[in-house]
Amino acid sequence: MVKAAITTPAATNPFIPFPFVVMSRRRETRDTVTLRLRPLRNVRLLAQPGQFMMLSVIGVGEVPISVSGLPRRPGELEHTIRAVGSVTRHLVALRPGDYIGVRGPFGTSWPLQLAHGQDVLLIAGGLGFAPLRSALLSILRERWRYRQVIALYGARSPTDLLYRRDLSRWQQRPDLVLRMTVDHPDQYWRGQVGVVPNLIRQVAAFFEPANTIAMICGPEIMMRFTIRELQKHGVPDEHIFLSLERNMQCAIGLCGHCQLGPFFLCKDGPVLPYSRLAPFSDIREF
Amino acid sequence: MSDRELEEFLAVHPFTADLDESQRARLAKQARLAHYQPDEYLIQEGRPADAFYLIVQGLVSIELFVPGHGPRPLQTVEGGSAVGWSWMLAPSRWEFDARALERTTAVVFDAERLRALLLEDCCLGLRLVQRLLFLVTERLRAARLQLLDLYGPPRER
Repeated sequence: MVKAAITTPAATNPFIPFPFVVMSRRRETRDTVTLRLRPLRNVRLLAQPGQFMMLSVIGVGEVPISVSGLPRRPGELEHTIRAVGSVTRHLVALRPGDYIGVRGPFGTSWPLQLAHGQDVLLIAGGLGFAPLRSALLSILRERWRYRQVIALYGARSPTDLLYRRDLSRWQQRPDLVLRMTVDHPDQYWRGQVGVVPNLIRQVAAFFEPANTIAMICGPEIMMRFTIRELQKHGVPDEHIFLSLERNMQCAIGLCGHCQLGPFFLCKDGPVLPYSRLAPFSDIREF
Repeated sequence: MSDRELEEFLAVHPFTADLDESQRARLAKQARLAHYQPDEYLIQEGRPADAFYLIVQGLVSIELFVPGHGPRPLQTVEGGSAVGWSWMLAPSRWEFDARALERTTAVVFDAERLRALLLEDCCLGLRLVQRLLFLVTERLRAARLQLLDLYGPPRER
C-alpha cells in the first residue's frame, strides 16, 4: 500500500485552513474548555510551545489560540479556549466529532533551548496559563535539561483554576516548585490569597536571578508588575520573556492589526524578550 | 527560647536580616517564639493590637468575619513576611483577623515594649518604620491589583 504523503504548511497557501476534527473536549471552568484536535488529512502542523494557530468556525470567523498541550499522537493539537466572543463561544460549544478549520503554526515560541541548564520561572495569570502549560509539559518531559523549575499561577478564584488534574499531579513532584494563588477564595480554599507578583518573593530562594529564564503570560497589568518584581530580584531584562496578545488576523505579518511599535506580534511575537519591548514600555497603550 | 536563638531567627528573617547585629539583639529581648495550629487566631478584629508578628514558617490568612458568610480571606502571608501594624498607631486595635491556615511559627514582639524601644533608639525606629511602610505599600499594591479583577471575563471586569 502506498503511504499518503504528509502535507506541511510550508508547501501550502498560509491563508487556507486545514480541516480538523474534535477528538475530545474537557471542561476546565464554567466558560473554558480544552479541545484535542486531529487533522482529517495526513497533515502535520508542528506547533512549538508558545506558538498559536488560527482556529476557524465556518461561517462565523477565525481567532488566534495558543497551543496549550503537547501532541499525544503526531499531528494532534490541544487548545484551551475561553468563550468571550462569537467565534470562541462557537469553539467552546464544539463536541467530539465536530469539524473546525486550522491554519498555522504562527509566531515565536518560548525559549526552551535557551533555558537549558538554567533555572526556569514560569509565571501565569488567568487564561495565560494555557500557553505556558505546553512549555511546562515540554520542560517536564526533558526535566534533566533544566535546573530548578518553578511555576507560579494566579487565578480569579479556585473554580477558575485551569488544568486541576495536572495541578494536583504536579504538586506531588519533588522536582517542581508550584505555587498557586487566587484573588477571591471560596470557603473551601486553604491555599494562598493574593496577586502573582507576591509569589516571586516566596520562591526567591529557589532561583539564581542571573541564571534564570522567566516566561510570563497573563493580563498585561499582571505582567507589568511581575516584570518589576523580577527586576527587583535581579533577573536581567533579556532573560524575561512575555507572550503578548493582540488582534491577530492574517497571522503572517501583512495586515498590521497586531502591530505594537515596530513589531507585528503575529510573526515577531507573541513571545518576545522584555529587553526588546522595554523601550516601548512607557507608551500607555503598551 | 534564649535571646541568642531568637537573634538567629531575626538574622535570617527578611524583615530584620539587614539590621545591625546590635539592633537585632535589642529586638530579640522584646520577642518570643510562638507556634499556632491550623485555624488558631494570631489576631482578632477589635482586640487590643498588642503584638507584632514576623512569620517564620507557615501560612496566615488576613481576613474579615462577615456575619452570615463566615471568615472572608483577603490575603495570605507566608513565612518571611510580617503581620500587624495597628500597634504603631492609636487607638492600637486590630482592624482585621489573622488566622493560621497551617501550622505556623512566628517571632512575636510585645507592642508596648517595642514602641518604647523604638522611641529610645530613633535610628532603629526609623529603620523599622521604613520596613513597615514597605510592607504597607506592598499590601496596598496587591489590594489594588485584586480590585481590578484582572482575570475575570473582559465584560465583567
